[in-house]
Amino acid sequence: MRGKGLGFIAPLLVLMVVAFNLPILYMLGLAFWEKGRGFTLEHYRDLADTPVYLRVLGNTMRISLIATLANVAIGYPLAHWMRGLSHRARLVAISLVVLPFWLSILVRTYAWIVVLGNGGLVNSALQALGLTDGPIQFLYNEVGVTIGMANVLLPFLVLPLFAAMIRIDDRLLQAAASLGAPPRTIFWKVYFPLTLPALAAGALLVFILCLGFYVTPAILGGGRVPMISNLLDTLINQIPRWEQASAISTILLIVTLLIFAAYRRLDRKASA
Amino acid sequence: MTGSPWSRRLLAAAGVFGLVFLTVPIVIVIPMSFSSARALTFPPPGFSLRWYQAFFGDPRWMEAMATSTIVAVVSSLLALVLGGLAAYGLRRGSFRGRDLAEGNFMAPLIVPTIIVAIALYLGLARIGLLGSWLGLVVAHTVLNVPLVMMVLGVAIREFDLRIEQVAWSLGASWGHTIVKVVLPNLAPSVFAAWIFAFIGSFDEVIVTSFIAGKYETVPKKMFNELILEVNPTITAVATLLIALTVLALAAVSLILARTGRLQKTLV
Repeated sequence: MRGKGLGFIAPLLVLMVVAFNLPILYMLGLAFWEKGRGFTLEHYRDLADTPVYLRVLGNTMRISLIATLANVAIGYPLAHWMRGLSHRARLVAISLVVLPFWLSILVRTYAWIVVLGNGGLVNSALQALGLTDGPIQFLYNEVGVTIGMANVLLPFLVLPLFAAMIRIDDRLLQAAASLGAPPRTIFWKVYFPLTLPALAAGALLVFILCLGFYVTPAILGGGRVPMISNLLDTLINQIPRWEQASAISTILLIVTLLIFAAYRRLDRKASA
Repeated sequence: MTGSPWSRRLLAAAGVFGLVFLTVPIVIVIPMSFSSARALTFPPPGFSLRWYQAFFGDPRWMEAMATSTIVAVVSSLLALVLGGLAAYGLRRGSFRGRDLAEGNFMAPLIVPTIIVAIALYLGLARIGLLGSWLGLVVAHTVLNVPLVMMVLGVAIREFDLRIEQVAWSLGASWGHTIVKVVLPNLAPSVFAAWIFAFIGSFDEVIVTSFIAGKYETVPKKMFNELILEVNPTITAVATLLIALTVLALAAVSLILARTGRLQKTLV
């Protein structure tokens, strides 16, 4: 039967077109059209001519890259360790990863103010151990923002990576061992290559999410670590420059969709 | 691949570090919310409930709480009904552009939220609905649809089509089949999807900050206060949100564990 099931999706389709697709199209229009002149790239020329925009773009890329690498460095050992746990311990570990995943990003970001602040846990501990005399400034700079972002995004890397790791057949590893391979060789030649597609997919996903981060840089950066989203906030809410905000949003959207396409390819490979 | 005791110990240390890194901020906030001091020093110098009194005694916080709750209830139910119907149509139907439609419904999950926020801001400003209650509820619904579809998509795919076919062959209409056959069987997943959508809406901050106008929700107020100054009342709000999330996740896991869908939904 042709068109079967269309009636079920029609109500949502109408809502999505009106409240999602059309607004995004309108935004694209603002980025590329000038009243009475038609298609224009003028707003992009403005962007290229404004050094502050390029600096924020570079900032965003750098912070996103560092946060993603930190995620890999913390997340891979964590997922690998979880794979080797007993059934019960594994369930506890999964719950501890899933809970923050569902917890408000505001709560998780705010918590770092409490942990990293001048009178916070980390500085109290450092001073009690006599490692530092005064408090170290973690907040309101790139260090704090990067830590906060890595923390918020860690579950996005760990959960799919762990799912890929538990799919690896133990007998493969036993076979390598029975052929005389030492543990290090088994890890690098058998295990690691099998987890690589999932690791790459997870890292790409984390990177995409980093690029659009808004809340964490706003709170932990204290206005001193602007990322693309915070620049967009300024261009919309403070000095209304809708066309430029639309132009920047369009770049961010295209970059995100391109990386997402790469992610989808890797993810399919990882789940195959 | 057991490795030497040393490498195993190292791995365990790295794993525990990862878990601590994930959970320590949450664990620290809870005792801080009972602190008697204004400064955020850890450990707190004394016990008090003053920050909870400050929260519950402040009519602006209570109003934000009411707005958040109403918006979350309405938008999560809308997302549940529209998303649930669409998930059913996508799984059971066959029509051209099905993958495209599904991709479009899931898109709010991938498109950076800031872009959704800006597009909606511009679009709503254009039609004069910026700062309206309708705009807020519709925006939350759009953002919650992917969560509903993820949970219900899996559940519907696993539900045996032949059971529905029996109902049809006995003369039941599509609508009758859904209400009397599909829904009762999928009730646990429907409940889980609703909880996820409710939390998604209750915690939403970016789009709300852009388009809500004079409406204050709990996350929006929290965000605005955090940017201005660090007010310990926020630790109490944060602890309440942690409690809400733990309760919701516990309810979902209890219900899904009985149907064996827990692992598939969470991981």
